Amino acid sequence: MSECDFMRENMPLLLTESLDPARRELTHQHIERCAACSDAWSGYRDTWRLMGDLPEVDVPAGVKARFLATIGEVQQPDRARVVAFRPRPALRWLAQAAGVLLIASGAFYAGHRGAPVQLKQTPATLNAVAAAPFSIAESRVLPANAISPNIEGRPDIQNVSFIDTNPNDPEIGLSFDITSHVTVTGRPTDKSMVRLLRYVLENEDHVSPSRSRAIDWVRATYSRPGNANSEIAGALANVLRNDSHEGVRIKAVETLNRMSSSVSADTREALIQALKSDPNPAVRIKAVEALANLARSGATLDAAAVDTLRQKAVQGDENVYVRVKAAEALSSIHP
Amino acid sequence: MRTRIPVYCAAITLLIAANGFAGNPTMTERLVKDIPLEVGGTLWIDNPVGSIDIVGGDTPNMVARVTKTTTGADAAALAEAREQTVISFEGDRNVRLIRTILPPTRPTRWTSTVSYTLRVPRTVHVRVASKIADRIRVANINGNVTVKTFNGMIVLDNVTGASIVDTTNGKVIYQYRQKPSSNAQIQAVNADIEVNVPADSNFNWIADTLRGDVTTNLSMRAEFQGSALKGTVNAPGGPMLAMQTLLGSIRLLGNGLDVQNARSLRADAEHVTERKTLMMQPARRIQLPIAGGAFDFFTSIGDVEVGEVHGPARVQTGAGEIRLGLVYGDCNVVSLGGPLDLGDIMGTLVASTQAGDVLVRAAREGGRASTAGGIIRVLYSGGPMILQSGGGDIVVRQAAGPINAETRSGDITITADPIQRTQKIQAHTLQGNILLNVGPRFAGDIDAVVMTSDPDSRAIYSDFTGLQIKKDQVGGKTRIHATGKLNGGGERLELFAEEGDIHISKVITNPVTVMSPK
Repeated sequence: MSECDFMRENMPLLLTESLDPARRELTHQHIERCAACSDAWSGYRDTWRLMGDLPEVDVPAGVKARFLATIGEVQQPDRARVVAFRPRPALRWLAQAAGVLLIASGAFYAGHRGAPVQLKQTPATLNAVAAAPFSIAESRVLPANAISPNIEGRPDIQNVSFIDTNPNDPEIGLSFDITSHVTVTGRPTDKSMVRLLRYVLENEDHVSPSRSRAIDWVRATYSRPGNANSEIAGALANVLRNDSHEGVRIKAVETLNRMSSSVSADTREALIQALKSDPNPAVRIKAVEALANLARSGATLDAAAVDTLRQKAVQGDENVYVRVKAAEALSSIHP
Repeated sequence: MRTRIPVYCAAITLLIAANGFAGNPTMTERLVKDIPLEVGGTLWIDNPVGSIDIVGGDTPNMVARVTKTTTGADAAALAEAREQTVISFEGDRNVRLIRTILPPTRPTRWTSTVSYTLRVPRTVHVRVASKIADRIRVANINGNVTVKTFNGMIVLDNVTGASIVDTTNGKVIYQYRQKPSSNAQIQAVNADIEVNVPADSNFNWIADTLRGDVTTNLSMRAEFQGSALKGTVNAPGGPMLAMQTLLGSIRLLGNGLDVQNARSLRADAEHVTERKTLMMQPARRIQLPIAGGAFDFFTSIGDVEVGEVHGPARVQTGAGEIRLGLVYGDCNVVSLGGPLDLGDIMGTLVASTQAGDVLVRAAREGGRASTAGGIIRVLYSGGPMILQSGGGDIVVRQAAGPINAETRSGDITITADPIQRTQKIQAHTLQGNILLNVGPRFAGDIDAVVMTSDPDSRAIYSDFTGLQIKKDQVGGKTRIHATGKLNGGGERLELFAEEGDIHISKVITNPVTVMSPK
């Protein structure tokens, strides 16, 4: 079988959107390359469109009866138990007029009561906050009635398995992996947004085009005074501690330097560790600058931080610029 | 063994300084105490906040005069301050320990300082520990002296035994009444050090300061080794006086000699040795709007900022930031540590730093920029450029000339000049991603390689069709190799990334207009 034949076999499935993503992509690529198949695909699409435009015609009664008789599905209604509905036009007008009168008199009464409305005082109660309707989770179980029957777009569903744990009950299960593209919008200070960003920053590099770029964006957003957030600072501190990508660590410490108002003790500890032992001198420079900023802003540095700065200042094999910056930081400290 | 000696001889004066008009109530308590101490004994004093004055004499035992000053936000806070500021006399007649005990966390509602004046036998050894002191003075002591503090002035006056001083900020004054006969070591971070000795003293001297100057009015033989001056004062031999301060200055003066005759040894060394090493240069900071011609500047430590250089620029600093706005000629800048911020470089650029970021707004003739660790950003390159980072991202916003970018760990982003139809680009990262942005009509021969631990990784993404991608295993890793021609082929585009992705993107950008200087 030639490649064209194979692709043309796929075309009806492509029309009905029944191909898996890989074959769909392959077929589209072939259609773009091959003029003959491109013509054939145009023919398929035109035919499909014409079929959609054809009017629906009622099946003739005789044909329908024969068809149903053939498949044994004929069911005669029990006409004796059916009561026919007979409309009565005169009563209909009377009922409509009574309804209008009732609404008008009710509205008049409500608007002209003399006494002011007294609201009865009731004690305030704090109810549990309803769970957000959408949560980002690695795995979840949902009842069918919690899912909209409409499937939007063409989500990539894979690893489908069918579950029927108890054959005696009517429940079945369908388990699958789904890849869907989600856009979350909100203010930078929204807790959901902060948590999501924290997760993205602390986990593997699937950010497009790179995590460095993502941290640039975080810096632009969260270094504004109103948006400073200790959770984001904590996430950056973890990046600073754990990421092997030096460019990313430089960006993380640079961002922390701009977020000094939201730096917690844990974040300070990450800065101290970076200054102590990060192999990249740029990270150490930015860590010491961040600590100096903290000291200048009046934050109290603990004895360990002061010791680290002092060790750096007198460490002969350290880069001189780092030593000078450590010394300058020390000059701002009042233990 | 800790023995708390009862107070047996005390005169306590209570002075309530606070009155109805004062903001915070303050209380001063004074204590005088005689304590046995052997003539060859050791005195340890640990006083976090407050002055210490220790004077040696010929009488036995020790007399301690203690002044405790407490201030509180209110009467309750004042009472708490008095209760929690404890003065403890411990030890025995051989080793005596005096401590001020404060709570581990600094209270916010009260403060306290304790000042000690101690008269001791001149032969005792003295150990002083402090954090913040207006002044620590040790005078007339023949034993060994150790002083460690963070902030404050330290005065050693007529101390003839071996001494060690360790401080961070403040000032150290060492006054020798007799010729030095024991080693002395003074280590500081930001403090200035001043030592006065009899003019005919003989000793070895090490003076090491990174940013400050070294001055003396004594005759000596010395040479700089890096930032440290090593030499002998007057005749060779004698004890070693070692002084080190990072940012402070060191002065060695002869008693009775004219202070005005003190000369800068760094300045002397500059003339004599003709810039043997960069760290011998005096630390200088320069800020100039315009340098009229060629600009040459060398300093051990100091920032350099020049708005315009109407000629070639040659700048070196041992540690500091270099900022040059517009350079009409070639530009050669070297920092052993510190960021480089360079504007419009009309000639060839050579810029390197041992630590810190490099920003170049325009390198019209191209050149070379490198950092041992930091981010390199070039907004416009008009000629061939070599960019190297020991760790950090490299970004070229508009490359109108060939680029050779290499980083040990970081992303490389290169955007080709949209006017260029083809140009040679090499990008090499040992850990990170490469993003190459070119115009839709850009032509080139792609040779892109990704080495990855993830065998399922796709790793190479291209907006251009026609790339052939092969996967194979090399040394336990998956090698993904893409080759092909963009728009019929052109200059070679060599891209190599380990543990990252390569994106070749088709973008339509407007070229940056690089204005010619007027």
